[in-house]
Amino acid sequence: MSPGPDGRAGVDRAVREVIASILPHLSPESVSGDRHLRDLGADSVDRVEIVLGAMRRVGVERPLSSFSDLPSVDALVDYLCRAGGR
Amino acid sequence: MSGPGGRRFGIEALNVYCGVACIPVRAVFQGRGLDPERLGNLMMETRSIALPCEDPVTHAVNAARPLVEALPPGERARIELVLTCSESGVDYSKSITSYVHRHLGLGRHCRLVELKQACYAATAALQMAVAYVASGVSPGARALVIATDVSLVDAHAGYAEPAMGTGAAALLVSDRPSVLAVDLGAFGNYSYETMDSARPTPGFDVADVDRSLFAYLDCLSHAFGDYRERVEGADWAGTFDRVAMHTPFAGLVKAAHRKMMREHAPAAPAEVERDFERRVAPSLVYPARVGNLCSGSVYLALASLLEREPPTRPLRVGLFSYGSGCSSEFFSGVVDAGSAAALAPLRIGARLDARCELDFGEYERLLAECRGCLVPAADRDVDPGACADILARAGERPPLLALTGVRGYHRQYDWI
Repeated sequence: MSPGPDGRAGVDRAVREVIASILPHLSPESVSGDRHLRDLGADSVDRVEIVLGAMRRVGVERPLSSFSDLPSVDALVDYLCRAGGR
Repeated sequence: MSGPGGRRFGIEALNVYCGVACIPVRAVFQGRGLDPERLGNLMMETRSIALPCEDPVTHAVNAARPLVEALPPGERARIELVLTCSESGVDYSKSITSYVHRHLGLGRHCRLVELKQACYAATAALQMAVAYVASGVSPGARALVIATDVSLVDAHAGYAEPAMGTGAAALLVSDRPSVLAVDLGAFGNYSYETMDSARPTPGFDVADVDRSLFAYLDCLSHAFGDYRERVEGADWAGTFDRVAMHTPFAGLVKAAHRKMMREHAPAAPAEVERDFERRVAPSLVYPARVGNLCSGSVYLALASLLEREPPTRPLRVGLFSYGSGCSSEFFSGVVDAGSAAALAPLRIGARLDARCELDFGEYERLLAECRGCLVPAADRDVDPGACADILARAGERPPLLALTGVRGYHRQYDWI
């Protein structure tokens, strides 16, 4: 259940907007996809809020523990896409 | 949700011992060069620090002694079960409980055991103890549950260092539940294997922060879901007048409350905040001043809510316990005005106030001396007198059990 290129772009945009809302020093455009949320300045509570917020935005429900190993923002976007996010 | 014949079972007395020394979390941030922006989400004020003459045995005895001494001598003999819970074991075979039993002067007709399931063990022990006293196999029996741990974190732990505590929580369990009448049969569990944190050697902790936090939050949702399956009509927003949770750091409990509100009682942010302040915040005052007390943490939170917002009528409390590895439980009980009255003579808040505040240099020296606390040694000398200055600065205190050394792997203790 993978979205097409437009679907991924939509999930990517949603994730960046959620990150920017939790980390106000970042704009959605300045979030580099190859970095871990930790390296963008997100502390552990921020990371919880970002994952929960991203799931809500793209309509995905997965156990939080399934997000533990994702190494980057791009990996988070890919995972949400594979989980049916749109 | 009482037992046969309307009888009630649960916590008769509760005490915590959280050391005689502490350091402001802000000072740890400054000393380590951590980003002060992160203090906000951490929501921690001070962390308790152990002295070199303190260990899991002394913490346990110093927490439990006032509860045992408050019983008339004849009643002490009715403590028939002692369950010590720790992820800070001092021996592969000999349990902490054997030392604790000796130094509390308990009777010999007594079942002793040590339990381990990271920060969850004390809740498993409490439920086993409640089941024992409620079973009727030994009418009038009491059980003593003690959660006791020391921290090994230092600069290598990053942002986890300022949030770790040290100490013990002691619960006397009986059919006279003056502090918390446990709702029998009202519980929910959620457990699975995960490597979120561990202590693979006596001197080293492994911690995967994201895995642990995500597991904690998943477990809260699923353990509460299991509770709802067992308790008809249970509702997150309506059933519990107060909530006390395992508190690795207070900011996580606030995030957990937000998550539960989103899932069960969606509301505007201001309403969610009001609900947090009313039902949860009183439980975080002491944990924010001690740090993560491991499996005693949820009972430190319970003491906090009882003392900081004393109940004036019967209130139902929802409690959540999580231990890495992982196992978790959501359960409930009832407190009332007598609960706070039962805690008052122990002066838990006043004893937290009396701790000696260390500067960063003193703190670093103590950490270095305490890191070997659990490392096996055939023979070792420990001089409690070396901490006389800190003990004097901590002000008036009851006699404390202290580690004085190790001889042939046998740990030696004395009262100071």
